[in-house]
Amino acid sequence: MGDSGADYPTTIGADASFTGKLKFEKGARLLGAVDGEITTSGDLLVDKGGKLAGQARAGNIRVNGEVTAKLESAGKIQLGASARLEGDVQAAKLEVAEGAVLIGHCSIGVKSSGNGVKTASAPVEQVTPRREKSTVRK
Amino acid sequence: MRKKVYCTHCHGEMSVAHSALSSVCPHCNKRLVLENFKIKTYHAVREFATTGDVVVEPRGRLVANVRAANLIVDGEVRGAIVARERVSIHKHGTVKGDIDAPLLAIEAGAMLDGFLRIGGAAPVAIVRKKPAARKRVAAKK
Repeated sequence: MGDSGADYPTTIGADASFTGKLKFEKGARLLGAVDGEITTSGDLLVDKGGKLAGQARAGNIRVNGEVTAKLESAGKIQLGASARLEGDVQAAKLEVAEGAVLIGHCSIGVKSSGNGVKTASAPVEQVTPRREKSTVRK
Repeated sequence: MRKKVYCTHCHGEMSVAHSALSSVCPHCNKRLVLENFKIKTYHAVREFATTGDVVVEPRGRLVANVRAANLIVDGEVRGAIVARERVSIHKHGTVKGDIDAPLLAIEAGAMLDGFLRIGGAAPVAIVRKKPAARKRVAAKK
């Protein structure tokens, strides 16, 4: 499975380590170590040898390296055979290859709002409050 | 013909007849269910344990802590799941509960909410050591 440069225009090399917040418009490929927050509307690939700690939000996330972070994806999260993920996962779809290690809380296919509150699938009916009966006897 | 199974309580290894439906673990002396199950309707128990496979069919709803070799979910499962081999959640399957298994397969469209522990080392057998035989000491005259 080839990872073309067009899918991941940004690459963090194997000899690089970064601490802080990173934001990409398109995809990013991680070969080094990142400790912090990554946000991208494209795809994120943590390749073999790459290490990610903190939090990551992306369209789709592929993990072949080591991740100790909270992952949030609007699309799919794929764990390769060499992946090791310790952290919470929230996505629409999840794919776990044979040999991958995954430890953490997962919410797959469960719709939730931005602040982590799960929304019901059906709209909640509005309840009109009852008038309280007066306890004063005339 | 015999097959090798692992106790759902102490994870001890034992050999049973291929067509056996239940047995007693020689290590912890607890009863073992060896059958494969298909859950077609609503079924709620505290613990659902077998050394075989459990299939929850599309209309099936299993509310229990599940221990099995393989678990295939087409319906709904609520409860903690411990699988010896694999957990597969199909397209219309829903799982609400923790999962502890070496392999996990989720199809697109499945719903899953719980703490996962996938991969890692297999559970170690908790086997009681038999007490050493007492040596008879000849009485002194």
